[in-house]
Amino acid sequence: MDERLEKALDFSNYMLTLNNQKRLLAEKYQEDLIYFHNGSQFTITRELITFVSAMLTADQDEIVITDDNNIPCMITNIEEFYSEIINNYTSASNDYYTKYLDLKKNRSVEKLVDYE
Amino acid sequence: MSKGVFLIARNNGYIDYVKQAVFLAKRIKRHLGVSVSIATDSVDYLKDTYGTADFDKIIQLEWTDGTNLRYFFDGSLFKKTASFKNSNRASVYDMSPYDETLLMDTDYIISNDLLKSCFDSKSDLMLYKRSDDIAKVREEDEFKTISNTSVDFYWATVVFFRKNKTNEVFFNLISHIEKEWNHYRRVYQINSSLFRNDFAFSIAVHIMNGFQPGDFVQELPGSMMYTIDKDLLWQLKDDNMMFLVEKKDYLGEYTAIQTSGQSIHVMNKTSLSRIIDEEFAND
Repeated sequence: MDERLEKALDFSNYMLTLNNQKRLLAEKYQEDLIYFHNGSQFTITRELITFVSAMLTADQDEIVITDDNNIPCMITNIEEFYSEIINNYTSASNDYYTKYLDLKKNRSVEKLVDYE
Repeated sequence: MSKGVFLIARNNGYIDYVKQAVFLAKRIKRHLGVSVSIATDSVDYLKDTYGTADFDKIIQLEWTDGTNLRYFFDGSLFKKTASFKNSNRASVYDMSPYDETLLMDTDYIISNDLLKSCFDSKSDLMLYKRSDDIAKVREEDEFKTISNTSVDFYWATVVFFRKNKTNEVFFNLISHIEKEWNHYRRVYQINSSLFRNDFAFSIAVHIMNGFQPGDFVQELPGSMMYTIDKDLLWQLKDDNMMFLVEKKDYLGEYTAIQTSGQSIHVMNKTSLSRIIDEEFAND
């Protein structure tokens, strides 16, 4: 095989693997953003954080939020709820960031999939 | 309320589902921290080969020769025909010793604690509807609806239910659909005559919803991640798995993919079996 083509195919294989790993990492991040509160399931989004923050600022005592399954959930302690979603969001995002950087450092297919 | 995971393992002479169940039970205890019960037609084999320490309760099923035949692929270049004993899954409602049951296929490899939340959920019945092929190079339409012209697809691979009157009706309906499969598969425009639990559950959900989309069941957290039997499970280290997934349009060629802390439905039971043998040998 022509050496130029061989190198291009090697790189193509590397990019395919890198893109797959990036996609799986993004899916793992979405799983890590799931937060459970009083039997309801919430995917933490920036929108949820902003909304809860606005309710806190407006001095609301309790709020109703619909969860991922569209079931309404009464939040009685908004401050605690806010603190927990912020913590979970930060932890999941930091983990995602760190792993993403690690992934980008790996320059071979073997390293990308941690194959021994 | 009692809670636990329920597994069904019916060996077919080619795939050792009992071995898979033992392997999964250990992972369930590690990640979900709940009891595991098993229904199997190979109780003596389980006791003699693996012991019973991993199970809370063992239920004897009657041995039957499977009449459903299907291909079991091991990568895209090898396949074997064997029986597929998937009947009576609906009877888990009566068999389960738990008030809150997480029913799981033995080829679902638990690698995180996401499903633990089901037991605290407000929902009494949960299934996976969203799913992701980890390869992302194949059509996934067959897991969106049960046929091109039919209703939404729900996975029967993992099912959470609480014992109550409504869920009893639901599981009885699934038994009825299984018994009258040839009728229902025609009504729901399914070409294959092979009975599949996913289809029966999907049809039952549609009926219970008043023959329209609805919220009779809630979705389990996350999505059902899977690899098909034309992919190979190559390596497993704790919660990291490495797969060789089939390359699109290149028969017998694969791309390596690694997952970390993600639960995966591994449909290639033969490669799963090899990995379990390695794991047990290392223990």
